[in-house]
This record gives sequence, C-alpha cells and structure tokens, in this order.
Amino acid sequence: MARHDKAVTPWLVLGLPAALGLAWVTQGSGVVGNDLERNIFIPDELTMPLQVQAAYNDEQIFFRYRWPAEQAHVYHDMLRYEDGEWIRHGNSRPGPDPDGTYEDRVAMLVDDGGVPEFGRYGGYITAGDRMRFFSDSASPAEVAEHPRLGQEMGKSDVRKYLPATRRDQNDWRSVEDAEVLAAQREAGYFLDLWHWRAGRSNPIGASDDQWVGEYRNSDAGTGPYTTNWDKDNDRPQWMLDPDQTGQRALRWEEVVSGEVDFDGTYYLSEDNRTAFDPDHDWQNGDVIPRRLLRTPEGSRGSIAVHGQARWEDGYWDVTLVRDLDTGSPLDDKILEDQGVYDVGIAVYRNATGSRWHYVSHPYSLGLGREADFQASAFTGSAPEWDDAWFDMTLFYPGQVDWPLLISQAHAGAEDIAQGTPVRARHSEEQLARYGVEMEFNDAITARWWMTLVAGLIAMLGVTLALLPGFRSTRQGDRS
Amino acid sequence: MTGMHHMLVHFPLGFWALATLMILVGALLPGRMADLSRAALLPVLILSLLGALAAIVTGFLIWPLAANTHSPLARNHILMALWSLGIFTMLTVLVWRAGAAAFDGARRWVLVLLALIGGLFFAAAGTLGGHLVGAPTLFSEVLGLMGWEVYTTFYSPLWVIAVMVLIGAACAALGLKGRRAAG
Repeated sequence: MARHDKAVTPWLVLGLPAALGLAWVTQGSGVVGNDLERNIFIPDELTMPLQVQAAYNDEQIFFRYRWPAEQAHVYHDMLRYEDGEWIRHGNSRPGPDPDGTYEDRVAMLVDDGGVPEFGRYGGYITAGDRMRFFSDSASPAEVAEHPRLGQEMGKSDVRKYLPATRRDQNDWRSVEDAEVLAAQREAGYFLDLWHWRAGRSNPIGASDDQWVGEYRNSDAGTGPYTTNWDKDNDRPQWMLDPDQTGQRALRWEEVVSGEVDFDGTYYLSEDNRTAFDPDHDWQNGDVIPRRLLRTPEGSRGSIAVHGQARWEDGYWDVTLVRDLDTGSPLDDKILEDQGVYDVGIAVYRNATGSRWHYVSHPYSLGLGREADFQASAFTGSAPEWDDAWFDMTLFYPGQVDWPLLISQAHAGAEDIAQGTPVRARHSEEQLARYGVEMEFNDAITARWWMTLVAGLIAMLGVTLALLPGFRSTRQGDRS
Repeated sequence: MTGMHHMLVHFPLGFWALATLMILVGALLPGRMADLSRAALLPVLILSLLGALAAIVTGFLIWPLAANTHSPLARNHILMALWSLGIFTMLTVLVWRAGAAAFDGARRWVLVLLALIGGLFFAAAGTLGGHLVGAPTLFSEVLGLMGWEVYTTFYSPLWVIAVMVLIGAACAALGLKGRRAAG
C-alpha cells in the first residue's frame, strides 16, 4: 500500500495545473455585467472607427464625419398616444433606449490652446466629480441646492466641466466665484462644443453650438429645438400640419421600424406644425415629437449642416460648416489660417446618449500647419474632399473621471503632472477596457485578491502533497 | 524606485529562466551537462528566490498601493509575479527536500511540469512589466491567443476560487496523511 502511495504521490502535482488551468480558462468572468440601477451598461463593442476630413476657405471651415451605424436613429423624445394619455419615449437613460427612440449624434470639442490639458488628455478633463449617469452621480436634489448650478443656473445634474472651474478637484460643488469664471472665459479657458443631433437639429440642417466651462453651456441665442409640451393640459402644444404633411402625427410602427425616409416627414418643425387639436380622434400609436425644431439664432446658430447629412448603406456621412470667425469669442474658438487647434470627437449611436458615447483621443488640427491632421485650404464655396480621410478609433470611456486620473489611485498621475500626453501611454482599446473595469473596480479588486491567494493556497497544498514523494533516497543525502 | 526595480527584476527572471533550462536538460538529456544541471539547480533556485523577493519589494514601492490595485495591468503583473514566486518556491522546496534524487523516476516530470508552468508565469510577469513602462511585446498577443486579454484583470469566478482552495486543501490533507504514514 505504501509503495502504491509512493508511486501515486508525484502525480498529485497534476492538481496544480488543474487548479491554475481552470482559473485561466474562466478568468475575467463572473463580475462584469449590466446593472442599470447603478447606471451601468456595457456596450457590445468597445471601440468603433471614425473618419474625418476638414477643409477651409477664406470664410468658413468644414468638418466631414463618417462612421458606421447599424441603423439610423433619428427619433428622439417622442410622445405616443395610448388610451387617452401622451406617453414620453426616448429620454436619457442608462444604455440604449429600448424602443430605439434616441438620436444619433456627433460632438466635437475644439480648443485653441486656451485649455492646454485638453490637447494632452482630451475629454477626460471634462469628466469631473460625480457626473450624471456615473454610479455615484450627484442627486438632482443636491445639485438643485447648489447656489450656482442649481439656484442660479437651474440645473439638476453635473455635466462636463473644466478642472480649473473647481477649487477642489474632488468636489463638484466647489465652483469658482462668478468673477473668476468670467475671467477664465475671457482668457479663453473654455472648450467650444460642436453638437450635431440626428433628431433635434439635423432635419432642419442645423447643429447645436455649445461650450464647456463650469458646465456644458449653450452659446448665446436660441437652439435648434424647443419643447412641444403643454404642461397645463398634459398634451402636446403642436402637431403636424395635415394641410402640409397629410398627417397629424407619426405612427409608432414607423418610429420603431428602424427605417427612416429622410425625404419624408419624420420630425416636427416650425415649418410643418400647427396648433394641437385636442378634439381630433387620436388613435393608440399616434406619435408626436416632443421637440419642435426651429432655426437656431444668435451665436448658438453658428454651425450648420452642409448639404444633407444622411445615413446610407450602414454609414452616417455628416458635414458641418461654420465661419472661421463667428464674432463670438466668448462662445466659440475663433479659427485662422496657419492656426493649430486641438479637437476631440465623440459619436453616439445604437440609441444611446449621456455617457454612453465613443470618444477619441485628442488630435491636433492644422490649418496650413503641421499637425495630426490637416484642414485643406480651398477656394470656392464647397470643398471637393479630395484628400484622404483621417482615421480615428473611438472608444467607450466607461467611468473614469479626472479626479481619479490625478489621484494616487492612478499610476499615471505623475505622468499627468509632468504633462505626458495620454496617447503616449494608452491605446484606445486599453482605455476602453480600463473604463469598463473601473465600473466594477471594487468587485474586481476583491476577486483578484481572492484568485491570487487561492492560487498560492493550491501551490502550498500541492507542495505538501508532493513532499512525502520527494524524500531523499540516496546514500549521503539528507533524510 | 522604478529604476531599482528594473535592475533587480533581471535577477529572478534570469535565474528562473536558467533554472527552467536546467530542469529540462536535467530531466530530458543524458550526459555531463545534465549531471551539472541537476547538481547546480538548488543554488540557482535559491538565488532566484532572493532576487525575486528584492524585485517584488521594490516593485511595490514604485507606486502607491491604491495605484497598484486600481490598474488592471499592475494587478496582472503582481499576480503573475507572486504566482511565479510560488511555483519556484515549490521547486526549491522539492529539490532541496529530495537532494540528488530530485530527478529520479516520476519526480523529474513533476519538476518539468512545474518549471513549464513557472516559465509561462514569469514570462507573463515580465511582459506585463514591459507594458507598465510603455514597452509592450508580441508575447501579450500570444497570451491573448491563449484567452487572456492582458488589459483586463486576471480574476476567477467564485466557484473556481473555491475549487482552487479545495484542491489545495485536499492535496495538503493527502500530503499530511502520507507524512504520518511514512512515520
């Protein structure tokens, strides 16, 4: 029996590859998953491609964006009639809208060097403490109580803001005084935000124009949409004009079909609306957009769609145009020939909004100067787009904010302090995977420790099992 | 401390690579080279452990603990380094215990198996260290082909962790039983 045990003992070593092999083939599972209660939804694809071109003449600059999308999502914020009530579909939520009623978007942050960190770290610098739709987001009540954001500006969430607009990077509440914020803006410490929306601006050939300072603010003037809701009567204020469109409303089946006729009626605007008729025999499934599109005015109307931005054969192709000098230096970054600027681009697709976007690294754009990519100079009114596309990889950023990146919990905090750009250290794929892991950091860290210790326990146990079979059997050896 | 760690990691990596080679030669080849490999293995293993301890201590001093435990790459580097240390500690104990008989019979296959596992682990630890200083290698892609994307943390489901502990406990019990039986 003892001889049999002695023969078997060495093979107990197989327990170790069994344990470690099992750990290897199952690693990375058991933690990551959607948890909408905690504002967690992980997209199936963590990266996506984006192609960009830019061109300018004496007066204007054009940006052309092209990206793949399974379908066009042009419906956003719709009111569906059901048994006497108008039910809202398509407001912001974690992950994709289940009905697909959330618009596709492209957003571009632009800087002229006034925000130096932006050129190194891109949109990460705008992700501050307890942002909306983060798992630890500030509550609407907290924000509403804030003297500046809540009581003065009427906000109920924390959106993009720049680091120097806060005295304490770990506290969204620590907003600088109004005089300091105004001085920062005067000094160019803000980011210009071009914001094209497939539902709330594109149908009328418009784009929104915003800026990021202590909040994601809108430029002066009026935007490309307003709300179509009669609060007093709980019903829309306007409906489609049947004389112009042949219909009073859209149908829910069309809205959720996943298809869109860009030449048909799929939106409500100043040009095709009429006053809501409460006496009409509304049918279940009738749909009226909750947003009324209108021509933007003032600085907020500086950016327009050039030509027609359409989705076709699996791709969006969007071109935006703006004056190089809009005349609004407190809202926009004024662009000039021989200038070099920083841009960071984000795309929303698959009916997602809020932080469920894909973002780019920051890139420099040269107008006649060496940079990551060039805006081509041309004469005439429209570019020919002869130059090659500039290819970017966009990534899902997860829940990584600026306070974390400059804290002791980030191994690269010292690099940031020294000004090392993010592109020098992290690929898009890496950042996407890190972003997802940060959404589950506590659970993953605990599971990692357990795995590490369990592996060592397996090694210790197998060693103890092997020791009887590893006695010295030769004369002169230790016993 | 970064530079010190970079310097010191050469010792365990070098000794572990040498020990792996010596085990393969000692187990698989005849002749004087194999005899020399078997005879010199224990000192090499002991030196590797000393080097590993120095490397690991200095490694933990590079960044704050919070940074190590927030970084998937750092977590993976630490896990692979400590598992490498575990495997080569096993080898050291077994070779020390068996003396000149360490390669007799089926024991040699135990050593070969452990050396190959240890070789995979220290190679992974080394390449992850390269990643951490911004110098990735193609070996990361090899690990990817083996099912592990190194930008994600290596962790196991709870049931697998339980199985690993049970295997360790069962083996330990068998070992203690065998020790008692041997008197």
